[in-house]
Amino acid sequence: MEKKRNKLYVIAFAILFFGLTFFAWLKPADEFSATERRPLDQFPTLNAETIFNGKFMAEFEEYTLDQFPLRDAFRSIKAIMHLYVFGQTDNNDVYIADGYVSKLDYPLSDKAMDNAIKKFQSIYKSYIDGTDANVYYSIIPDKNCFLAEGNGYPTYMFDDMETYMNNGLSNMTYIDIYDLLSVEDFYYTDTHWKQENILDIAVALGTAMGTPLSSEYEKVTLDTPFYGVYYGQLGLQMEPDKISYLDNNLFENCIITNHENGQKIPMYNMDKANGRDPYEMFLSGSLAVITIENPNATSNKELVIFRDSFGSSLAPLLVEGYAKITILDARYLNERMIEKYVTFDTQDVLFIHSSSVINNKTAFK
Amino acid sequence: MLFSSIPFLYYFLPVVLIAYYLVPKPAKNMVLLLASLVFYGWGEPSYVFLMMASIGLGYVFGILIEKFRGTNWSKVCMIISVVISFGFLGYFKYTNFFITNFNVATGLSLPLLNVVLPIGISFYTFQLVSYIIDVYWGKVVAQKNFVILATYITMFPQLIAGPIVRYSDVEHQLIGRSITFERIAYGIRRFCFGLGKKILIANILGEYCAAFKATDEKSVVFFWTYAIAVSLQIYFDFSGYSDMAIGLGSMLGFQFIENFNYPFISKSVTEFWRRWHMSLGTWFRDYVYIPLGGSRCSTSRLMFNIFVVWMLTGFWHGAEWNFIVWGLYFGILLMIEKSFLLKWLEKYKVFGHVYVLLLGIISFIIFDAANMSAASQHIGAMFGMTDIPFVTGITAYYLKSYAIVFVFAMIGATPLPKLLIEKIREHKVGNVIVRVVEPVVMGVLLLVVTAYLVDGSFNPFLYFRF
Repeated sequence: MEKKRNKLYVIAFAILFFGLTFFAWLKPADEFSATERRPLDQFPTLNAETIFNGKFMAEFEEYTLDQFPLRDAFRSIKAIMHLYVFGQTDNNDVYIADGYVSKLDYPLSDKAMDNAIKKFQSIYKSYIDGTDANVYYSIIPDKNCFLAEGNGYPTYMFDDMETYMNNGLSNMTYIDIYDLLSVEDFYYTDTHWKQENILDIAVALGTAMGTPLSSEYEKVTLDTPFYGVYYGQLGLQMEPDKISYLDNNLFENCIITNHENGQKIPMYNMDKANGRDPYEMFLSGSLAVITIENPNATSNKELVIFRDSFGSSLAPLLVEGYAKITILDARYLNERMIEKYVTFDTQDVLFIHSSSVINNKTAFK
Repeated sequence: MLFSSIPFLYYFLPVVLIAYYLVPKPAKNMVLLLASLVFYGWGEPSYVFLMMASIGLGYVFGILIEKFRGTNWSKVCMIISVVISFGFLGYFKYTNFFITNFNVATGLSLPLLNVVLPIGISFYTFQLVSYIIDVYWGKVVAQKNFVILATYITMFPQLIAGPIVRYSDVEHQLIGRSITFERIAYGIRRFCFGLGKKILIANILGEYCAAFKATDEKSVVFFWTYAIAVSLQIYFDFSGYSDMAIGLGSMLGFQFIENFNYPFISKSVTEFWRRWHMSLGTWFRDYVYIPLGGSRCSTSRLMFNIFVVWMLTGFWHGAEWNFIVWGLYFGILLMIEKSFLLKWLEKYKVFGHVYVLLLGIISFIIFDAANMSAASQHIGAMFGMTDIPFVTGITAYYLKSYAIVFVFAMIGATPLPKLLIEKIREHKVGNVIVRVVEPVVMGVLLLVVTAYLVDGSFNPFLYFRF
């Protein structure tokens, strides 16, 4: 009896173990993980050099992790175990609170803020100082600022970041938008704010820069499900968000140029809306230099925005008041290249970034 | 290669098992040897040659010791072999330590050699030395077949983190062993259990320790809970590895010695060391302590013997002063217990448990610290000797997040779960339920562990540095 049981035990376990093994060996390699939004590692180069320097072994391990069969299902199992069996409050620093998924952003890093201040001041001193440009900066509070404290997650005080940045950027005018935002203004599964909820932010920024904005927009909601960046990091099944954008006839005559390749791009890129990251539909995502020329603007003013991805959905709402907006991403653009795209004289200049980007040590390194 | 890795679990192990079970009995040692060399070479390609050279010398000297048995040449061969083996260990593991301390003592600045420590050298050196000494003592016959000796030393289940298997324990199994479904089933059970201990307890506690190290908002409570976490992490990490080694051995037809026996339930430090890293403890007992005279000698000689053994035990763990202090710390405690405390501890058992837990936790702070200065700062902070708050919001957050893991770990470090299962099995229905549920639990455990590995979670092996 015991012998038979042991035999059955071994056979059953062998079926499970070798089943998974052969599945792992025979499954064709995937190129890309849609949930994690990243390319997956492929089989590494195998030769004497890569074996003896250990490179093959290191890369093979990465390859096997990336290409393991049912990878997303296994990641979900891990997240369920972590959150619901072990009762851990976050999984890979990502947590769910009030139905929103967010990422721990703690503690406040002086080094990260110093990096941001240094970068902004360097741009200021190199190009703006001595001109008649009006320089503003604003910080977009991260979703975490509205979720973490009330739900028992560690966070820093946004006021502390404001104070630190104000000290470092005292030659610029700070535009406070904290009170205009709440957690409802963010997607459930993504880090970003919803464009349809930030019209008041655009108006506040415009007003602070002396450019009143009053256009009305039509809200268009896409059918495509929007699985935000935190969805993939969390590893749990969740309802997707819906992505909407604000449209206006004004945009039809705008000329939008991607200066990375000189090509014209749409204000809202519908190909990207159906792509791996639908949020990239706003001004085609993370491009280093974009200009928007608006022949029907209410003024001849120009605006230069130094921004992160949040700025992609904000910039269209500022178009009404400016004949030209130059949008730059200081994280990806070599500082010395700025003069190629902008000659600073009387423009409005706005540095606007998310608090999570400012608190990231590598963002402005 | 780590046992707890996808390349080992789903590439190396299946290939080895298929090849091992398929080849005829005479070829099994060769398969095992080749597999072990690949396993070792995966992490240390160039050090495979060093290990094989050590084994080659041990092989030759083993035969010479036996050939010259009864003459002084036998002793000379034994000494040369032991000196060479410890010479390799000393060069790769301790050279920088001695140069650094020489520089500090003399004010010179001799350059460090910066040699990379070959993985597992402390373990395989001790196995080789035990073989040589056992041949010299006539406890075992010198192995004439190089493949068999090399298979013993390199056997991948226990090569890089023990248990330190004696040649005398596996001599007959190396020549002829039976592979039964019973042994394979036991091996599967033991391996999965060890894997679960490593991935689901040790690694998660390791994350808690990493969170402690990363934050500037430390508190007295955080220092204490870190100390508990690191103690449990080391235990589950190392005992989990030993479980996996014993399980793999069983699947291959070997029966390795046990290495841990619930050390945290001990009532004295003496008992603790009978339950913790047992294969190392018995190695030092048999090859150092007893040859020095053991306990059948004068009190002063006994104290000297204990001092030497525990200094070496500490030094074996690493070429840093904190390891030596860690060893001596236990040596002093054992001396005190031997002198008078042991009898008292046996009488007041509750006090004995508290005493072992407290001193054990402090010992692991010394063990885990980067140096003695860090260890003393940490212990000072635990006892409120620094200007830090008693508890902070961050401490509360991480404690809440890891509370269940702490509870699992604390209960899992005792025999309670095992006793509970045995109690259930005493009843007929309970026994049936356990027999049905247990294989399912092992299967689920494999899947959950795989899930943690696929997610790329935190996964270091603490004992690899030895």
